[in-house]
Amino acid sequence: MAELEVITLFLFSVIVYSIPLLYGTAGEIMIEKSGSLNLGVEGTMAIGAVTGYVVACRTNSLFVGVLVAFLAAAVVGAAFAFFTVTLQANQNVTGLTITTFGVAFYFFLGNGLSNSAGGWPMLGDTTLAAQFAGIEIPLLSKIPVIGKVLFSHNILVYLAVVIAVLMWLYFAKTVPGLKLRSIGENPGAADSLGINVTLYKYIHIMLGSGIMGIGGLYMGLNMGGTFEGSNCWINGYGWIAIALVIFANWSPARAIVGTVVFGLFNSLRVYNVAFATTFPGALGWLNKIPAHFFSALPFIITLIVLILSSMRKNSSSGEPAAIGRNYYREDR
Amino acid sequence: MGNFHLVRRADYSIKRVIIYYLIGILISLSIGAILLMSLNINPIEYYSRMLSMGLIGNKFAYKNVESLIKIFVPLLITSLALGLAFKMRFWNIGGEGEFLAGAICASVVAFNSKGMNPFLTVLLMCIAAMLSAGLIGLAVAALKVKFNTNETLMTLMLNYIMLYVIKYLGDTKADWNFFLREDSDRPIFGEFPENAEMGGITIGFFTLQYSLIVAVILTVLIYFYIKKTKQGYEISVVGDSAATAKYAGMNVSWIVLRTMFISASLIGLAAGLATSTAGTVSDSITNNVGWTGIIVAWLSKLSIPAIFVTSILISVLQYGCRAAATQYPAIDQNFADILQGIILFSVLVTDFAATFRIAKREEASNG
Repeated sequence: MAELEVITLFLFSVIVYSIPLLYGTAGEIMIEKSGSLNLGVEGTMAIGAVTGYVVACRTNSLFVGVLVAFLAAAVVGAAFAFFTVTLQANQNVTGLTITTFGVAFYFFLGNGLSNSAGGWPMLGDTTLAAQFAGIEIPLLSKIPVIGKVLFSHNILVYLAVVIAVLMWLYFAKTVPGLKLRSIGENPGAADSLGINVTLYKYIHIMLGSGIMGIGGLYMGLNMGGTFEGSNCWINGYGWIAIALVIFANWSPARAIVGTVVFGLFNSLRVYNVAFATTFPGALGWLNKIPAHFFSALPFIITLIVLILSSMRKNSSSGEPAAIGRNYYREDR
Repeated sequence: MGNFHLVRRADYSIKRVIIYYLIGILISLSIGAILLMSLNINPIEYYSRMLSMGLIGNKFAYKNVESLIKIFVPLLITSLALGLAFKMRFWNIGGEGEFLAGAICASVVAFNSKGMNPFLTVLLMCIAAMLSAGLIGLAVAALKVKFNTNETLMTLMLNYIMLYVIKYLGDTKADWNFFLREDSDRPIFGEFPENAEMGGITIGFFTLQYSLIVAVILTVLIYFYIKKTKQGYEISVVGDSAATAKYAGMNVSWIVLRTMFISASLIGLAAGLATSTAGTVSDSITNNVGWTGIIVAWLSKLSIPAIFVTSILISVLQYGCRAAATQYPAIDQNFADILQGIILFSVLVTDFAATFRIAKREEASNG
């Protein structure tokens, strides 16, 4: 029984820790599908996280918090769109600056509030914490192992999956989705067909950024909302999300699988000792692998995927052809 | 916009660009002031404390200047190196990873150098750092040239892989791990033997580190390399259009490989100098120069003299925020990052205004 418990807890934590990656990844996929490479995921998530969390605590409402996290991050997305689409600024530089700025803003607000009279808002036993608690889905959550692993999570876990599935449908089945993908492949051609390239880019960059913001809030709540002066809640997840987009081959549906795979490594980092002691025969070797290796694994795998897919040059790659390049109509 | 659209200004004047840049910086400082006031901090007081960097009325002001130089040298060299790659439109955003690789290899030399000649030790450290970082750059460039692999994402992944390598070295107590202090049960990075530490020219109390001299000479050399040599010219042609370079008979692949090796190994050199100056290594040895360098290079529009000036300004900003943080508990050095971001964004706007103007439709169709 102890063995089964370890496995259940492990798989449960895989889901818990991979969900913020799904928000970040799905958001970035939406932005990249419009032909923009936004390296500001980390910063966008940080801004969504800190603003969403503070407002959620003030209003004691998860719904308002999610809304504010979404909106704050969407404003960051609007800034990215303004600089890269309207002002034609370089996407790499703009995105990286958003990351620098966003993470710094997180610390600025956190330190500022911690040193203010009211102090940093705590999650504790608030209604907000209750709203974020796990929801046992009737019947399904009673299934052994799977019930606990898949059907006893907080509402934001389910929301992430719903968003990813909806996004997949949007790209695959709807006309705006098709138009968006055409912009990502060839903005000049899309423009000549009468698609409003600028408007499409703005909307989808803002939507994608907003989704990332919810992921940021999730991470903050998942950490119990405690602010530390040294570590940001996002803690590199934004970069892993960028890696995951490649691993998922720019498909939101594959992103769900990809996040679970990456979440697996992440949880192994914590659970390797538990596994090694519970299954000394089969998994004893896990103890010998340093935790840092599991942390680096997402990046190593992505690097390999990146190189292999460029070597194969297959046409099934989901990478938008015009990614990273700005579209200036009069240069056409 | 209806009847209006954007036209590139025909008359490009450097004077206008500088004025617009200054306006941009003023706007950013005002936005920063609003943020400061939201925390009930007097912005004028804060800024004056920041810009004076604790120099005024300080008996140990020379120490502050030395610390400023420690921030400035790696930032300058890294920005120059990144600028070289960006000029070729090669997105080397792997400054962090290349720096860390260089720092690790320089430390391997340093920790095993007991009793060696100091000059030779530091030289070997720099060579080791340059080779290791340069080889990473070369590998990325080779993949880019051969398979057109996305270099932005490749270098990004390498940043984190190298970060976990150095964290592993810093956290793992083992017999083979000479990086750690032997006399401590907790894993802590050891200190280099004295002969691996950067020396300098002593002027009174002040020590002018050799690394600053190296950095200044390097700036001049790179300036001439870009402006006056065939190789420098080739870089800008490839950056403007790889096709043009190809039809002009240039070996584009070779140019990309060569330039990327130089760019990455310069970052390695920055790492070698920085580790030697610090006398130890850690996972925060980069001081984020890999990221900040990108902002510096871009703010400077990849011009070498501008990179020199911007590096000084950003170093003052960073060190100033660090110095002011001792007085203001609510604000730490992250405020420098906020300002850096706002400055870049403001300058992007004003730079746009300096290059484009809004024109009426009909005027454009005639022209």
